[in-house]
Amino acid sequence: MIGERLIVAVGAGASRIAQEVGGILILTGQVLRALVPPRIDRRELVKNLYKMGNRSVPIVALTAFFAGALMILQAGPFVKKFGATSLAGYASGYAVLREIGPILIALMFSGRVGANNTAELATMTVTEQLDGLRALAIDPVAFLVVPRVIAMMVMLVVLTALGDLVALLGAAVVARTMLEVDFSTMYYSIVDNLRPFDFLLGVYKSVAFGAAIAMSSCYFGVAVRGGAVGVGKAVNAAVVASAVSIMLLDFLLTYLVGG
Amino acid sequence: MSVTSPAIRLADVAKRYGRREILAGISLEVAPGSRLGLIGPAASGKSVILKLVAGLEQADRGRVDVLGTELVGKREVELGRVRRRIGMLFQNYALFDFLTVERNVAFPLEQRGGMSAGDIATRVAERLRAVGLAGSEHKLTGELSGGMKKRVGIARATVADAELVLYDEPTAGLDPVTTQKIYDLLAADQARTKATVIAVSSDVVALASFVDEIAFLYQGKLIYRGPAATIADAPDPMVRQFVRGELEGPLEDVRTEAS
Repeated sequence: MIGERLIVAVGAGASRIAQEVGGILILTGQVLRALVPPRIDRRELVKNLYKMGNRSVPIVALTAFFAGALMILQAGPFVKKFGATSLAGYASGYAVLREIGPILIALMFSGRVGANNTAELATMTVTEQLDGLRALAIDPVAFLVVPRVIAMMVMLVVLTALGDLVALLGAAVVARTMLEVDFSTMYYSIVDNLRPFDFLLGVYKSVAFGAAIAMSSCYFGVAVRGGAVGVGKAVNAAVVASAVSIMLLDFLLTYLVGG
Repeated sequence: MSVTSPAIRLADVAKRYGRREILAGISLEVAPGSRLGLIGPAASGKSVILKLVAGLEQADRGRVDVLGTELVGKREVELGRVRRRIGMLFQNYALFDFLTVERNVAFPLEQRGGMSAGDIATRVAERLRAVGLAGSEHKLTGELSGGMKKRVGIARATVADAELVLYDEPTAGLDPVTTQKIYDLLAADQARTKATVIAVSSDVVALASFVDEIAFLYQGKLIYRGPAATIADAPDPMVRQFVRGELEGPLEDVRTEAS
């Protein structure tokens, strides 16, 4: 009896996930179709670039600064013990550019921008605003989803680059104050040891994370059912799907191209 | 389309949502330039008919011809061509909450193109004056009362002088004086544009002052269609009971689910 219930629950869960993945893929196809030839409302695009990018700068900078600072704080005792202070910049830079920066900022972005995007689109869906657009012969995917997807992908890359810089600054400040490592030592430790690819890998990842956050947040927004309760569930599902996608993509990209 | 062809023709149209049958084989014709009112208990399929005519829903069975085009099975692009000739007021307004009142009304004209910004501004100002909303141009829709939202929706539905206008509860939530003003406005508009009109309303008395004929829907079927002026004395006892609001009669099993 318990075994039977377990099978039913697992089957229902798998079916729901397959349905959601399928829905996200269909929406992705619609977005790509709307891009050839490009049919983008410039006003919507600029509005979303500003809203999703500019307004995220303070929280991203704050998080990145402390993430960089914490790395040195944690590594400090070992660096001192082995007399490897000249490698502090390399170690923190390697971790920040390749892993911590892209993933941390993507998770922050998902929580702030992705959740907000799902809530907005879901509210528009339940109040028939998407039908309102269709009634005016306007494709809601081209008008609402495409500018948001582009804005999220572009802005996550920009924010990741900015966050990388701020995280390295945070690491340098803590290294200077706690380990007495000069700013110049940190700087040369980073530029002499890190390759451009270390930065580019983070950029590749942020493009993939941006696409995952954009597609899941838009899908759960437009596929919502029900009223306010449905909106809450959609936001929750979008945040969970984004976080899971970020982790999976991070593993895949590191495994496939991160060597 | 020949002169004698109906503007709208539904032939044996059926529609289900899940296991719930909403329309059970409706056939209906509406002549060009005429005004038809749809009445019936909640969940009798009135709003669904409007959505089928606007191409926002697809029939499970039957034919839906609107302005000379068969809509069943058509792609969004093809449906869009028909929708450009239709104005629609949604039951829940479906106003775009990211736009001001002025831009909501201007939106259909901006998207269709072919009008200068000056002409659009003049037309929008005239529409807003007509629905008594001059001075509210720069408000966001979230700042408006339900009645004001309804009037913005009417202004948006009629701004482009569409060939076919669909009103879903145009006066719900409005006081009797405003209700009469709105119907006078809609009648004057229709007399000017000669548009075909379908209006769904629960306010049968006010609706009867606006439309030529009224059709009564019950449990997904078209039960009666006759002149609006004599609807209270219709030969069908179900229609009489509904219009008079009597508790006793053949409509005792009126379903209470929301449509």
